[in-house]
Amino acid sequence: MIKPEEIEDLETFLALSYLLEIESSDRYSELADNMQVHNNPEIEQLFRKLSEYSGMHAAEILEHSKGKVLPKVASWQFQWKDPEGPETTAFELAEYEMTSEKVLNLALHNEISGRDFYAHIAQQSPSAEIREMAAEFTEEETEHVQLLEKWITQLADKKELIRDDLDPPNMPE
Amino acid sequence: MTDLKKAKAYKSEVKPIWCPGCGDFSVLSALTKAFAFLELAQQDLAVISGIGCSSRIPAYLSSYGFHGIHGRALAIAAGLKLARPELTVVAAGGDGDGFSIGGNHFLHACRRNLDMTYIVMDNEVYGMTKGQASPTTHPDWTASKLTPHGTGVRPFQPAAIALASGASFIARAFSGDPNGMTKLIIDAIKHPGFSFIHALSPCPTFRPEQKQWKNQVQKYEHEPTDDPVIAATRLYSDDGMSTGLIFQSKYPAWHRTDVEQASITQFEEEFLV
Repeated sequence: MIKPEEIEDLETFLALSYLLEIESSDRYSELADNMQVHNNPEIEQLFRKLSEYSGMHAAEILEHSKGKVLPKVASWQFQWKDPEGPETTAFELAEYEMTSEKVLNLALHNEISGRDFYAHIAQQSPSAEIREMAAEFTEEETEHVQLLEKWITQLADKKELIRDDLDPPNMPE
Repeated sequence: MTDLKKAKAYKSEVKPIWCPGCGDFSVLSALTKAFAFLELAQQDLAVISGIGCSSRIPAYLSSYGFHGIHGRALAIAAGLKLARPELTVVAAGGDGDGFSIGGNHFLHACRRNLDMTYIVMDNEVYGMTKGQASPTTHPDWTASKLTPHGTGVRPFQPAAIALASGASFIARAFSGDPNGMTKLIIDAIKHPGFSFIHALSPCPTFRPEQKQWKNQVQKYEHEPTDDPVIAATRLYSDDGMSTGLIFQSKYPAWHRTDVEQASITQFEEEFLV
């Protein structure tokens, strides 16, 4: 397995960065579908928005990659701190009665992990080009962290309705 | 550039109705990534299942599929593989479907060693029927009204039984490690024989305590072996929570040798009343 900080060429680093954002976007989208199926429309919309933001970041990475041929990479070829990439929400963290606060805190955790991931590469990479690009991505992720923190603060000012589940899935027969 | 867009292409428009937090989501994701990585043509791929929450998986995939009858995923998959050996055939289902209702099919599928893959999503419970003890449930699980004092019965040991029955590829995966699972599925599909993946897949609804599995699983500390005696010793000395490839042998896969060719017209005549 490859350690991301040991990647030596910019193309592989960009391919991996793109993969991380797409995986993150796809996972948010899958969680949105799950909330839709279980009739939690507010949280569905929130996951869709987060999916869109990750997709936009992926598009920005593609902009950086213009004129380059990126290699085919897969996330299981790399060594991660967690089982999946730094910005991917684990399926197991989804719940029936999720609140906006919980979702935003998950997203914040992801962005902090993403920021730390790129910051580590910006310090450790053997390639100056990669270090420079990773530093740029670190700044972008830091902005995302700040935006989410602001969002969470604004949410705390509003009283969020916690729904009672009148028909829980494990209700005794 | 990457496989992810391709992986999405293997998903159908049907949205999974699994409970939030269900381990089966990871299996679905790992399957689509594996199919994309292997660049399998959708028309050459069939996913066959039985009955149960996890057996809904063919509906969520954009390939050929058959949501079959309870416990008979392997029988249907074997028939398909024999009739259409050029297809990649994956059977999937849960622990109740595979080890109880379909237990006998499991033994003989291992023994026949047809070139196909079987993924069992094991959550140690019948989830679709609201939480009864399954063959892999531990004897002291008392949360079901049907077994208020536990089952008192030792659980089925899927990997050990697969080994004893002659499976040529045996692995254990965990839904909390989707990347590890993807890699194992890729290796299983590439394996020329019957490949069995015992996928630990928690049920957050009826077995919420399984959320702790992520703290209990560990990577298999040994390199895979092709020696069944060594594999058996290892399997009996582990706690059932080690993940990775356990055993892989070169037992020859079984193929039909007596295939008769018939035209469609001849075939149809056989069915004329």
